[in-house]
Amino acid sequence: MQSPETTPSEPMLEARGIHKSYGSKHVLKGVDLTVVKAEVLTILGPNGCGKSTFLRCLNLLEQYQQGSVWLKGQQVSAGHPEDHVPSRVEQDQAQKLRQRVGMVFQRFNLFPHMTVMQNVMSGPKYVLKKSDDETHDIAEKMLKKVGLWEKSPCDPLTLSGGQQQRVAIARALAMNPDVMLFDEATSALDPVLTKEVFKVVRELAAEGMTMLLVTHDMDFARDIADRVVFMEGGIVAAQGSPSYIFDERPTEGIRKFLEKG
Amino acid sequence: MWTYLVEQIHIGDLIVAARWPLYLTALSMPMAVFFGLFLALMRLSSSKMLSWPSAAYIEIMRGTPLYVQLFLVYYTLPQIGIAFHTRALTLDPFPAAVICLAANYAAYEAEIHRAGLQAVDKGQREAALSIGMSEKQSFFLVTLPQAFRIILPPVINDAIAMLKDSCLASAIGVMELLKVAEGIGKNSEVGLANMYIAAGVLYMILSLGFYFLGKYIEIKLRARGGAELSLTQARH
Ligand SMILES: Nc1ncnc2c1ncn2[C@@H]1O[C@H](COP(=O)(O)OP(=O)(O)OP(=O)(O)O)[C@@H](O)[C@H]1O
Ligand SMILES: [Mg+2]
Repeated sequence: MQSPETTPSEPMLEARGIHKSYGSKHVLKGVDLTVVKAEVLTILGPNGCGKSTFLRCLNLLEQYQQGSVWLKGQQVSAGHPEDHVPSRVEQDQAQKLRQRVGMVFQRFNLFPHMTVMQNVMSGPKYVLKKSDDETHDIAEKMLKKVGLWEKSPCDPLTLSGGQQQRVAIARALAMNPDVMLFDEATSALDPVLTKEVFKVVRELAAEGMTMLLVTHDMDFARDIADRVVFMEGGIVAAQGSPSYIFDERPTEGIRKFLEKG
Repeated sequence: MWTYLVEQIHIGDLIVAARWPLYLTALSMPMAVFFGLFLALMRLSSSKMLSWPSAAYIEIMRGTPLYVQLFLVYYTLPQIGIAFHTRALTLDPFPAAVICLAANYAAYEAEIHRAGLQAVDKGQREAALSIGMSEKQSFFLVTLPQAFRIILPPVINDAIAMLKDSCLASAIGVMELLKVAEGIGKNSEVGLANMYIAAGVLYMILSLGFYFLGKYIEIKLRARGGAELSLTQARH
């Protein structure tokens, strides 16, 4: 089911017919989804419906078996049989893709052996191979953006969860990505810390960052989204404007899901 | 007391001889750690062609006495053509001992590396990849430095064990501390027992040196934060 007002304009990231299995467990059963430039898309769905798996397939942290992923109109990956060992060329391609697509994890995953500053510098320094001055400037800018410049010399594990997540966002942003993926970025945080992370995400949305967010926070999902995607049973069961999904509740699955939450 | 130590125990000679366990460990342990990392990576590989030989090597090295290995390296390697020196029948005792200690301890270090690498959160590799690092970068810049902190205490522990195991090198003729102590004991009225005690005290002092070195590095690293974990030891 698709509401009328979501005709894509300039596609940034596109998934076509993604199928993914873990052994005999068929998790994604043909996911089609396109995010257009500057669009904020939230993905909802019951536990275990494949939201995380889908995001991980998008930047090839997981291999998928069928379908393809396209970035700005170019195919960047394709499905392979489950036992496929990626070739050197495929690995390079995946690496290139990930340089354009940022990801924020539920558990932050900051590098504990580096300072906050070094965490944020790691992309520009090691991946983009920028000069020390440039690297420093980028990291400073990103840390200021998330409001944590004064924490730059700190050990990341000494920060609060919300601060850690904001550093993780700064680290991803330092690569100047085309698209940002958020997988339950606030599920490990209490409401106060969640708010400070959401504030950063809202600012990114206002700046026109293209984003896909998996979240269990319905108010936030509704509030920030240009479009809401409801996944169920390994497919996109419905998508449309926030009011279409939240008010009209077009499918039985959505009704059940929203009533439970 | 002092004259007893100097004239009877020949403490000066013993201290000079104490450099041998130090040399053997200082040479063999880094080699073992380095080679052990390769073994661990092979062992962790999804390819059976790599993991199987590594597993076999580790089990053989851990399953047979170091003493036996020393003799095999000393007498057998030259016979199959791997001689480092002009005397074709045996290797020089010292390089033979270094190789043997390194090869033996590599098996233990491999298991420590393996446990250490596995103890680093999988999310770390994924975070590294997600900002566009290659697998190699994510390993050397993110996973390995974190594994290093985890493996440091058990590796220091093994260095201390090696220090003591190095006395086995005397069996193939390395004139190391224990051998020198025995020599003095046999040729004077001071007695073997006293010489063994003196040698034991010197080993103890060397071990403590390693222990404090390890603690010092650990504290330095801890000041920089990071994961910690104590590994259950395969032996010692
Ligand atoms: N590595 C794995 N091996 C086997 N099965 C897996 C693996 N990862 C996920 N799954 C299974 O795939 C299905 C989808 O998991 P996924 O984590 O994508 O769900 P989700 O929609 O993100 O759920 P949640 O809301 O709980 O985060 C689940 O049934 C899960 O058990
Ligand atoms: Mg999930």
